[in-house]
Amino acid sequence: KAGKQRVSQISPEKQRALFSQATYVWRYGCLKHKRDPVRVFPRAEPNTDLCSKTYCIRKVAAQVDIVKCKCAIDVRRRVRTPCILVTKKRGDRFHYILLTLSSSNQLEPRIKFKPPYQMKGDVCILQGPTVLWRHEDSVFYTSLRAEGVRKIPMEMSHCLFGELSFYKGQVFVLGLQKPSDQSAKQSTSPTLGYFLEDGQVFDGTVVLPHPYLCITQCMLALSSEREGGVLKCAVIAATSHKQLVYFENGVARDACQLPYDHVEGLQVVNTGRNGCLFVVLFKRGDVCAVWKETFQVCPNSQVCLLHVDDFLGCGTDQMLLLFRDQGVARRPADKFLITDLCGISFSCGQASEALKTTPSPQENYLLTLQALESRLQSGLIVLQDLQRDVSVKEGVIQQSVQVLTDVLSGRETQLTQPATGVSLSLLTETGQSSAPAVIQTQSQAFWLPACRPSTPPLSSSSSSTSAFAFSQPAAKRSRQHVASDDPRARRLAVTAMTKLAPLLTSGCVKCCVMLHYTRGADALSPVSKRAPVVLHCGQVAVDIHSVFQKPLLKNPLIKTDEVREDLLSLLTVLDRWVLHIDSPDYSLGDMDGWIQKRAGCQKVEVSPQYLLLDSPEPSAAMLLHWHQITPFQGELSIHSSQLQMLRFLDSLRAFLPASCAVRPVKSARSRSTAQTLALALENEVLSLRKCAASLAREREEGDEGRAGPEEPPEPGSVEGLRRCREAWRRDVERSRTRLSALVDVGKYREMIRIVSDVQTDGDLAALLYAQRTLFS
Amino acid sequence: MLSLLDKWVQENNELANNFKLPEAQEATSPDQNRTNLRQSCSEFHKLLRKIQGIPPDAGHAELELSVVYNASVCFIAQSQIVEAELLLQQATERVLQMTGDDPDTSDPLVLWRTVLKSVRKTAFHHHVLYLLSLQWAIWLTNSYLKTIRDFQEEISALLETLSGKVGDDCRNETKAKFPDVPKLITDPRRLVELLQICTIITQGAERLSEGWSSEVLSDLQAASTLPAARALVAYTHLLSGACLAHMNRPQMALQCYKTALETDSHCVCALYQSILIYRQLKNSQAEIQTLRILHSILLLPSSSEPAMAGTHLLSPSLFLRSQSLSSLLSVPSALSVLHSLALKCVLHSRASEGVEHYLDLLAALHSEDQHRIGAKTMTDTQVHAEVSTLPKLPRLYLEAGAALLMAQRPADCMALCSEVISTTQDLLPQKVVLDESETNAAATEDVKEEGEGGLAMFLWTAAAYLLQGHCFTHMKDWKQAVTHYTRCINLLVKVHYKNKVAGFQTQIPSADTDVQQGGDFCILQRLKGLSFAGRGISFTQMDRMKEALRDLQHSLQVLPEGVGAGLWCGEVLWRLSRRCDAAACWEKTWSLPTQPLTE
Repeated sequence: KAGKQRVSQISPEKQRALFSQATYVWRYGCLKHKRDPVRVFPRAEPNTDLCSKTYCIRKVAAQVDIVKCKCAIDVRRRVRTPCILVTKKRGDRFHYILLTLSSSNQLEPRIKFKPPYQMKGDVCILQGPTVLWRHEDSVFYTSLRAEGVRKIPMEMSHCLFGELSFYKGQVFVLGLQKPSDQSAKQSTSPTLGYFLEDGQVFDGTVVLPHPYLCITQCMLALSSEREGGVLKCAVIAATSHKQLVYFENGVARDACQLPYDHVEGLQVVNTGRNGCLFVVLFKRGDVCAVWKETFQVCPNSQVCLLHVDDFLGCGTDQMLLLFRDQGVARRPADKFLITDLCGISFSCGQASEALKTTPSPQENYLLTLQALESRLQSGLIVLQDLQRDVSVKEGVIQQSVQVLTDVLSGRETQLTQPATGVSLSLLTETGQSSAPAVIQTQSQAFWLPACRPSTPPLSSSSSSTSAFAFSQPAAKRSRQHVASDDPRARRLAVTAMTKLAPLLTSGCVKCCVMLHYTRGADALSPVSKRAPVVLHCGQVAVDIHSVFQKPLLKNPLIKTDEVREDLLSLLTVLDRWVLHIDSPDYSLGDMDGWIQKRAGCQKVEVSPQYLLLDSPEPSAAMLLHWHQITPFQGELSIHSSQLQMLRFLDSLRAFLPASCAVRPVKSARSRSTAQTLALALENEVLSLRKCAASLAREREEGDEGRAGPEEPPEPGSVEGLRRCREAWRRDVERSRTRLSALVDVGKYREMIRIVSDVQTDGDLAALLYAQRTLFS
Repeated sequence: MLSLLDKWVQENNELANNFKLPEAQEATSPDQNRTNLRQSCSEFHKLLRKIQGIPPDAGHAELELSVVYNASVCFIAQSQIVEAELLLQQATERVLQMTGDDPDTSDPLVLWRTVLKSVRKTAFHHHVLYLLSLQWAIWLTNSYLKTIRDFQEEISALLETLSGKVGDDCRNETKAKFPDVPKLITDPRRLVELLQICTIITQGAERLSEGWSSEVLSDLQAASTLPAARALVAYTHLLSGACLAHMNRPQMALQCYKTALETDSHCVCALYQSILIYRQLKNSQAEIQTLRILHSILLLPSSSEPAMAGTHLLSPSLFLRSQSLSSLLSVPSALSVLHSLALKCVLHSRASEGVEHYLDLLAALHSEDQHRIGAKTMTDTQVHAEVSTLPKLPRLYLEAGAALLMAQRPADCMALCSEVISTTQDLLPQKVVLDESETNAAATEDVKEEGEGGLAMFLWTAAAYLLQGHCFTHMKDWKQAVTHYTRCINLLVKVHYKNKVAGFQTQIPSADTDVQQGGDFCILQRLKGLSFAGRGISFTQMDRMKEALRDLQHSLQVLPEGVGAGLWCGEVLWRLSRRCDAAACWEKTWSLPTQPLTE
């Protein structure tokens, strides 16, 4: 093809000459469309003298059928040349001949082959020229190099042919592996790629993701490279869903809707600084262009043929559109348009003749400059690639050096002294009393074989904590290993026992773990007296929940005293959180309903405001109580373990509106109003009693002072009887005076003041209680 | 294949995150938000194009439907309803292709039913429901209430499924902690909640306007406990109030309006509705008080800000487009409220307070020149449509003048009246024909149309003269009073009647109803009666008894229920020593129901 000629000044005559080669292809393309070679071949334009000269036409013009026309690179001659695949039928056999157009405008046969079947479906002519086709799940190809028809060594249910632009292994086949193959089922990707030249198989998804393979009608690789054995390429594909999709390394980057169906060909137009255009050719003769950057579509219809080349010789590509002309089929090049859709537009025979331009000398300079610039840029890209390679190599070297250094500098392990005479103390938290109370009564130590070469003493205590929870310490089984094991490779398990009472009273006890041990005799300190060492190992929390196993409130739907008792014990044992939920912008909706819809939620019949959330694990029961204050606020009481509560809160958060504020109510307020009232009343009674008692005592002291000490009366004697009677009379008298005792005014007022203060508190609590109970 | 899907999920989640990011920052302007929305919309659409470029596959239905959801939400948020509907239609068709069912119909309802039936057992059932909720949103936006009612069964099932989601299921959807779960830009549950309450509100308003108040009431009261934005909860209470008002339960209605206002302090329409109730109950004290509160609230800059806008991508105003609802939610401008307040004060013997309000009103009108435009404060909200009921400026002047006279400030009143006379004098036509053959309503409309010139000018000028006459009477300048009354009478006799209707007296409005309702004919009669009476009284004071008697009798003839004229007529007769006639006159006057008079 004469594309390499540079034409700066275009006259219609020159133009005609330039396009003459393209015209062949156009003409054959036209013929192919008409699907009637018998009639059309003799009618081909006589003055070009082509058809009469060609080999096949002369011989069997009447039986020749054109299968495919396409321009492909002739590897031997290193030119892009139009190729025509024709077939002729001889009896039952089909003969296929690939013709190429030589530089002297001669059609010459290059490849002949005779498959025992007629090729159906897609036949592809790619660089080589290589002819590829599919027949019954097998892919065949032939080329000048291949010498005869070859078969690809795998079966594919669906396939696509393509070519890449790097130096080796250019033509490839993408296909879906047949599902019947057993090994295919195990592989993650059913899409396979195969290079014809070297027979290499690769993962097809790097070119085209799986779902696209079956729907792609046409594919074009834009760029490709191999980085460390990994194929990277950019591809555009036109799909049967009327889309043009752009892929980068198997990822769909962009897609646009095409205006027509049935894509026949894709081409790239590089318009230089204005970016790239993809030209899509449709079977019915329509064409559309898509900008690469924006993926915007620009359709154009009624086009017979399209060519892309640097027709104007300005360093960038243009499209040559040859328009269909109903009347004058013999003068095909009369109506054409050369354009890159941005700046360059040269038309002939089109309605808009005004577009025809001849570039001025100044424009020529500009075009030259642009050509130079684009070359410079491609050079720059090569340079950048080389630089990237260098940096990658440097990185690899540095990494290897690092690995070597790591290997050489291994660390030595620290070994510690073995301990003997170990015991463990659990101390409850200080603060409850001045000195920590030891709740441990007994402890046993076991040696455990270690998994690691060395264990610091601290980890022995941590293992003891875990052993504490076991009903059957795992350590027991390993006792016999003690003697045989190397002392370095031993771990220590300590089991401590304690009484249940302190745990029951306070729910959860946090204990300090103290390890007592005596150092064994060793070479380092022979003089030492084996003084016991006490080591603080940290804290351990001992929880009542790990003690109490029997699930309470098995059936909350019945109303018995037992259930009531269970509820109360659950309320006592479980930790309680009261959360104030405030959603200022969004009403909370039906919280109760939401809780009740959760799995395993039941209403506790004996006290219906409580909802029981039961879960399969024991001791994971949860009691919930929702108290709605307004549609926008409420209080949620959660009785459960902390983990359960957090889990519940997590799902609650998803239910609550985003603008909602959840805050824990302070412990003082978390006490229910009923409790507060009870406490206040109790306080009132107590202080009243105290005050009254102190007043009465003062007066009595005065009385008693005068009465003097009393001897115990002798029973049985008259005197004794008298004195008993006397005493009784005095008692009666005293109690009478006590009932209406005279007290000091100042003291009395003081008492009244104290009592009324206390009563105010009580009234306040009663008011709060009344509010809560009346308005809820 | 897996990686392709993963990448799309990732792309979707990045878009969703990007979208949420600026929303979280409060500093973003609405403009910026809009740009962001538009951009997200096109990005989602692009992603969707890629996803829908491959054959439908149940394996990635969840992703595809999520992207459809996101893109449609963006479209709806931009009010691009047609685009959103197209996406939904394509999505349903693809879903049917996935399940292998045949969409042998183009009817959207049948299509949806087929889709719902075919996906019931699939993993992406919920995602199809999300799309159905968007379809619901579109119906609601287009006010296809009938379609929604037809689809009630499916919608209830949708609500049941989406709002009933608890625990882990719910958490996965909303948080999407896991990278492989496609994120949604709006929580579908919140969307459904919004649609539910908006549907009830819109439906309630529509049915209320059709007169089904008692049926609507229960729906609305159930809706008030639904989870929803504060403003919407307030609307349910407001509508319940409107229902109760329709059902003739004003006190309960007031209670509902109060709840609405307590729920959302921005719900000023509740305040306005309660004013209407007070007006209906003739509780003028409460009405005046409420008007005062409403006026001060409307003057606050924050009152115009809708509480619900901006917080969500899909604003409730998108779904509250019913005509009958917007008339319920409308609130007059601050100036209109001020005018009503002033008028109410004057009518209920709080003249001095009324005068203050009138002066404020006139000052506001002068300083901002806002007449006819009305206060602009409420125009940014679609929901709060504004009602401009402010009368024309001369009328306001006259009302203010009357108020001033009642507040014993005749000089100020006269100044205002001269202002009116000077502006209208040049525009007075030579004569006016009043066509009373039409029905009252038609006449009023006519007058409204030609109100700029003609009759309105006449009436204003006449009223101004009358007021000036009153002022002089007040100052005991009887001669001047006679002059002005005469001017008024001269002007009034220039009005010619056409097809005079007998028995118009029965239609004379009481002072409490709006004067305009009575038609101009009545106003004219009134003006005549009052001016004759005024002149008669002035003549009496000047001891010109004959003229006085003539005028007063004229007055009584035009306006038989004029108490003042009747009394003075008796007085004049008495002085003329016609004792029997005087007694008869008095007796007749006293038997009339007393009526306060204004203009």
